[in-house]
Amino acid sequence: MTREGGSGYPWLWVAPALLPVLVFTLYPVGQALWTSLHNVQLLFPMVTWAGTGNYERVIASDYFVTGLINSAKMVLVAAPSVVALGVLIALLLSRRFIGRGIVRAVILLPWALPGAITAVLWVWVFNPSWGVLNGLLRWLGLIDRSIPWLTDPALAFASVAVAHVWSQIPFAVVLVMAALATLPRELMEAATVDGATAGQRFVHVIFPQIRAIIVVLLVYNALVAFTTYDVVYAMTGGGPGTATSLLSFQIWRESFSMYDFGSGSAVAFIVVAISGLMIFAIVKALPSDLFADG
Amino acid sequence: MRDRSILGRGLTLLAAGLVFLFAAGPIVLAGLGSVIPDRALFGDGGLFDYGLVFDNYRYIFTGELPDAYLTEGANRAMISDAARQVPQSLLNSAIISLSAMVLNILLGAPAAFAFAQFRFRGKKASFMYLILSPLVPTVALVVPFFVIIDSLGLLGTRLAVILVHTARALPFTVLILSLFYRRIPAEIFEAARIDGASRWTRMVRIALPLALPSIGATGLFAFMLSYAEFLFAMVLSGDAGSRPLSVVMAALARNTDVSWSLLNTAIFIAVLPTLALVVLVWRFVVEGLLAGASKG
Repeated sequence: MTREGGSGYPWLWVAPALLPVLVFTLYPVGQALWTSLHNVQLLFPMVTWAGTGNYERVIASDYFVTGLINSAKMVLVAAPSVVALGVLIALLLSRRFIGRGIVRAVILLPWALPGAITAVLWVWVFNPSWGVLNGLLRWLGLIDRSIPWLTDPALAFASVAVAHVWSQIPFAVVLVMAALATLPRELMEAATVDGATAGQRFVHVIFPQIRAIIVVLLVYNALVAFTTYDVVYAMTGGGPGTATSLLSFQIWRESFSMYDFGSGSAVAFIVVAISGLMIFAIVKALPSDLFADG
Repeated sequence: MRDRSILGRGLTLLAAGLVFLFAAGPIVLAGLGSVIPDRALFGDGGLFDYGLVFDNYRYIFTGELPDAYLTEGANRAMISDAARQVPQSLLNSAIISLSAMVLNILLGAPAAFAFAQFRFRGKKASFMYLILSPLVPTVALVVPFFVIIDSLGLLGTRLAVILVHTARALPFTVLILSLFYRRIPAEIFEAARIDGASRWTRMVRIALPLALPSIGATGLFAFMLSYAEFLFAMVLSGDAGSRPLSVVMAALARNTDVSWSLLNTAIFIAVLPTLALVVLVWRFVVEGLLAGASKG
């Protein structure tokens, strides 16, 4: 759908949004790239050319490999979970039932909380000694001994993943509901009259209509999971051991606890590059009209 | 999507109950944790042996020390002045997030309209640039942002945080709004154009009313991004006078001197405005959007 002929005029409309974003990305990224190629350490005032030295040192470290694996796990667990649960909850909240208004409102809550708060709330749930989950399981008679949710490596990862998914679901729900709301009612009614089951309606009628928004959500959530840090850090600090150490912690660790800004920027750049590849792959893989002209 | 069968309705209600518990459960826990003293929580007796205690709320707003901290010497350290910063930081957060929201709509809405409705050279490239820019991990940008803000002389002000939050949320604002704008049938604009309406008229008179719920929802997204953002807020804000809630809360959460019930009190206070906000959002933004859509 071609809407308008071209002229220089549209840039006036675009500039107010584009300029701040340009200023706040090009300069910082350029600065970080420059830093990653130099030896920049707080304790040594001399800044010297490092070439790929920072990158080599970082990639060879154990922390990096562990962080990369954990961050990849987080992406694989969190992004599909958030989108699947988001779609399910959005479908549910599109139905009519008593108390819908209340449920619709509270589903937004996790979204609006800073990561530090989310972390404390979930420590309440998962804490092995006085956490609510163990208390509940014990009260139901399902367990005798406390389950070490935050101290067993595998359980700790699952616990922080739950907290992360929890905090990301509302945005998915809102966007899917907004997309559902724009579906023509006749379409749904026609499908119901034709005797389609709920499952069939979703696969053949609803899904094709909301595919674009699902793609956006998957991309967005993959990236959020890949670069997240605050909830996980505040819950476990990356532990036990390195079970929940994410790649994003490494940027922070190198830059602000080792004061090695060169290495920290090198990790940052690797994260940027992987994120870029991920979004490229997803955008290419899925037939999406999202970026098409109209 | 009405389901008439009783089984279907029952399952819907059950699922809704689970969703409610999942979303609200942890926050209810914080509410409970704020009125159950630590000695009841960690002691052997029942949780409500000491009744419900609201001393922590009084302390945060008035500075009056709760009895528990005065009488029990060992617990004296379990209180922190940081909790007293909560009220001021709530105000700071409100100012920062509302400003970021308004700026996002003012700066983002025209751009989103242009991306959705105009055709021009460099459109795809600039749109891609815009929506890909948030991929750059926040942690990687902190030091350079610090330098920019410092050179503008804004370090330690609310304005610094507002600017950065606005810039960080703009790509999302433009992306989401342009998706909504694109749904408006081209014929409506075509008719208006034939009638001689300018682009500006078309946006203000036709697109804006049609997209108002979407703009509200999008603006709210910018608000939430800003309200929950921590890292930039921490690095760029200054003393308690400009520090938003996320920074104060993070400091409290990591402060091992703070008692569990005081921490939960601060958290519950932080959650309350959010609670009011989400109710308003559904009432005026999302329900409006859904009602508007079902009319068609």
